Amino acid sequence: MHLTVNGRPVAADPAGSATLLDLLRDTLALTGAKRACDRGECGACTVLVDGRPHYACLTLAHACAGRDVRTVEGLGTTAAPHPLQEAFAAEDAAQCGFCTPGQLMAAAALLAENPDPSEAEVVAAMSGNLCRCGTYPKIVRAVRRAATTLRERSNG
Amino acid sequence: MADQPRRFVTTTVEVEGRTEQRVVEVPAFEPTPWGADAALTHVGARARRVDGLLKATGRPGYTTDLRRPNQAYAAFVRATVARGRVTAVDATAARALPGVLDVLVQADVPARTRLFFADVTYVGQPVAAVCATSQEVADAAAALVRVAVEPLPHAVTVEQALAGPPVRPRIENNLMGGAPELLERGDVAAALAAADVTVTREFTTPCALHSAMEPHAAVAEWDGDRLTVWESTQGIYRVRENVAKALGIPLADVRVICEAMGGGFGAKNYAGAHTYVAALFARRLGRAVACFVDRAGEQVDTGNRPSSWQKVTLGATRDGRLVAIDLEARIPLGVGGWEGGPGDIFHELYACPNVRTREHFVFVNTAAMAAFRAPGHAEGSVALELAMNALARELRLDPLELRRRNVATHDQKKNRPYTGNRLDECYEEGARRFGWGAAGHTVPGKPHLRRGVGVAAQIWSTGGGPPCYCTIRFNTDGTADVMAGSQDLGTGTRTILQQVAAEALGHSLAGVRAVIGDTAAAPYAGNSWGSMTVASLAPAVRMAAEEARRALLEAAAGLLNVAPGDLETRDGRVIVRDTDRGMSFGEVTAKLGNVMIQGHGSRGPNPQDAAIVTTGAQFAEVEVDVETGVVKVLRIVAVHDAGRIVNPTLAESQLEGGIIQGLGFALFEERRLDVRSGLPLNVGLHDYKIPTLADIPAIDAHFLDGADVRANHVGVRGIAEPAIIPTAPAIAGAVADALGVEVNDLPLTPWRVLGAIAR
Repeated sequence: MHLTVNGRPVAADPAGSATLLDLLRDTLALTGAKRACDRGECGACTVLVDGRPHYACLTLAHACAGRDVRTVEGLGTTAAPHPLQEAFAAEDAAQCGFCTPGQLMAAAALLAENPDPSEAEVVAAMSGNLCRCGTYPKIVRAVRRAATTLRERSNG
Repeated sequence: MADQPRRFVTTTVEVEGRTEQRVVEVPAFEPTPWGADAALTHVGARARRVDGLLKATGRPGYTTDLRRPNQAYAAFVRATVARGRVTAVDATAARALPGVLDVLVQADVPARTRLFFADVTYVGQPVAAVCATSQEVADAAAALVRVAVEPLPHAVTVEQALAGPPVRPRIENNLMGGAPELLERGDVAAALAAADVTVTREFTTPCALHSAMEPHAAVAEWDGDRLTVWESTQGIYRVRENVAKALGIPLADVRVICEAMGGGFGAKNYAGAHTYVAALFARRLGRAVACFVDRAGEQVDTGNRPSSWQKVTLGATRDGRLVAIDLEARIPLGVGGWEGGPGDIFHELYACPNVRTREHFVFVNTAAMAAFRAPGHAEGSVALELAMNALARELRLDPLELRRRNVATHDQKKNRPYTGNRLDECYEEGARRFGWGAAGHTVPGKPHLRRGVGVAAQIWSTGGGPPCYCTIRFNTDGTADVMAGSQDLGTGTRTILQQVAAEALGHSLAGVRAVIGDTAAAPYAGNSWGSMTVASLAPAVRMAAEEARRALLEAAAGLLNVAPGDLETRDGRVIVRDTDRGMSFGEVTAKLGNVMIQGHGSRGPNPQDAAIVTTGAQFAEVEVDVETGVVKVLRIVAVHDAGRIVNPTLAESQLEGGIIQGLGFALFEERRLDVRSGLPLNVGLHDYKIPTLADIPAIDAHFLDGADVRANHVGVRGIAEPAIIPTAPAIAGAVADALGVEVNDLPLTPWRVLGAIAR
């Protein structure tokens, strides 16, 4: 099968039972998406498939043939972070950091659809991403900060 | 020689409410304390978390992300009955599965690993393990292992256990120690008899699960006789010791690494079955082996906050002075555990001459408890604080006023002063920020909603202590490595170390780098538990930095032809005082080449004649839907006195996190068991509810300004556990205030709330 991962074409031959999370983590060594529950309960494996947020642990790898997958590694780097990544760092929106990649991808999907979300809209869009450290207040602030940055960037 | 000061002394060390006598090293020198007014640049600043951007870019480094060459994967076979005896393990089908490499049963493992007992004593107990080339195959193979178990009668409740035979081998009595743990000061019976007013209430708190996002995990790899273990842990040095002992190998042959870890909250303080299984398979197979506990195993078999039943009687004078506090408690520990019970806070939080606690710690056929953020205090505060509210109603006193009349002025358990305790200021500042006394009970136009407010307080020993070491060394470019055998659970250990080191060196924040999480790279630091890390580590880091700075100044003095005493350091430069002459650290170290500037710091003992505590008060406002029973927490105001705050942003993050965990404890979290079978019923994060973004109130997390220089020379105390202690009773008190009905059983699920309304 062929798919695009973080903008690069990828050829892979996953087992029929392999999930997108297996493919990303075990075959492509992209460990940003986390395996925390492996049953669609926590959101730590959230990635974008054709721009929409998906739990990678519940998505079959083969269902992604021909599709465009984006993970936290494709969002930005420490040298050139995405505004969301910069905002998460600036607002201290990661404590242990384990759920953070999933939070970021859920937020990226939200901002692509809604560039100026209210607090309630952030809450509604991201309540499927658990954080046991309780970083939630700062996650909301970071998402809205990034939204402002992105809007300013597109207006400027 | 006769007058040489003693380098090693015996002192009292306190961890998670337990005290021990230990030999500790007295530091060679003690830096002058940084008082509350000290002019500090980095310490106290809102510096960014140094690895924040790494975490936001999907950093590798978590144990579960590790992919060693040729790494194999292990999975557990777990017991499905609560009590029984394994009579046979048949792994034939598992071994036949393509990709399966090995199987471990009891006969294959060293006794000291305590793996795979034939006596099954709880559901979820590991009875065998399988190793395969992939996690998927390992999991599939584990499901094919046939375990024959002869079932035996079990006991999963306190009542069953106290009436039945021992729930596990090697104990005669299910009551720990054969008797309740009794602690009394004064004469409670006489004081209650003489009290103007008494109230008695019963409370229950749920069994709560840590539910860290990263499960327990280890990767083990041997190089000849030498073992490297990557572990998601709160204590790299403790894991090293556990592994060496269990496998009977020298400590020098074991290296433990934890670069990043995805949460612990008390459940990751030791090596576990997963660690030993990874190490044993790795040795047998000659390849790296990962053992990552799956979510169901994580929720069943890696520790919990035990449930509690507590009966509290308070006696007071008519004007609201406590004269007696009495607690009777029953705690089902699981098949093992320790007496981290609710009793301690009853002896500590309020001034009261007569206090008695009787705690029954009972072994039952469920997985053993483990420390969980403020073990005991989080449960005890629910009962104590809700009983205080009941007393306030009885006395027709404002619950905040009742608390302020009973603030403890000294450590009554050991009859000594506090190094500092500004709880009364926390009440005052919290009430001001919250607007205590201003809120109403009704919501205009919404008769189905009722609002209420609650307050609760907290006390927790947070002195940290020895042993704890740090080494600082300058590199030839003037940057400095700050090396300590600590680890970062997500609290920001690296950032704090760098702030303290930069401060004491006179360096820039960018000029220092924390090296932690590797037993081969850094000297001993203790577990990150008991809210101890900063209070233990910061003084050692400061001392190491002062020693390194002294050496640097001596070297620079020669280069600048001045006396060392004429030099000072600022922002990475050595400067001749009152001039603009100077050299950057890099210029000094470049001249020295590989002559190394180093400093070594150790943590000295705490003062023995004073108690070091963090105190605080939290205020909650809730809205209860009386038709559905749903509780929504609207806002929390938290004010704590934790000495000097090294980084307010990180401290607030931890305080918010503790409050949110406390909210889960108050409203949703409860591991449920089927009493007939002993089976846990909610083993995933769907059925075991932890707070989500939608549950979060407005939180005002605030620390009083100050520095506790009587505690240590950095002036710091701990904050992590204090954060969770008052939240649940503040919320439960607010719900009772909203409804006008007491609710004394947590969590406050809709059906419980509706039940309370129906009464």
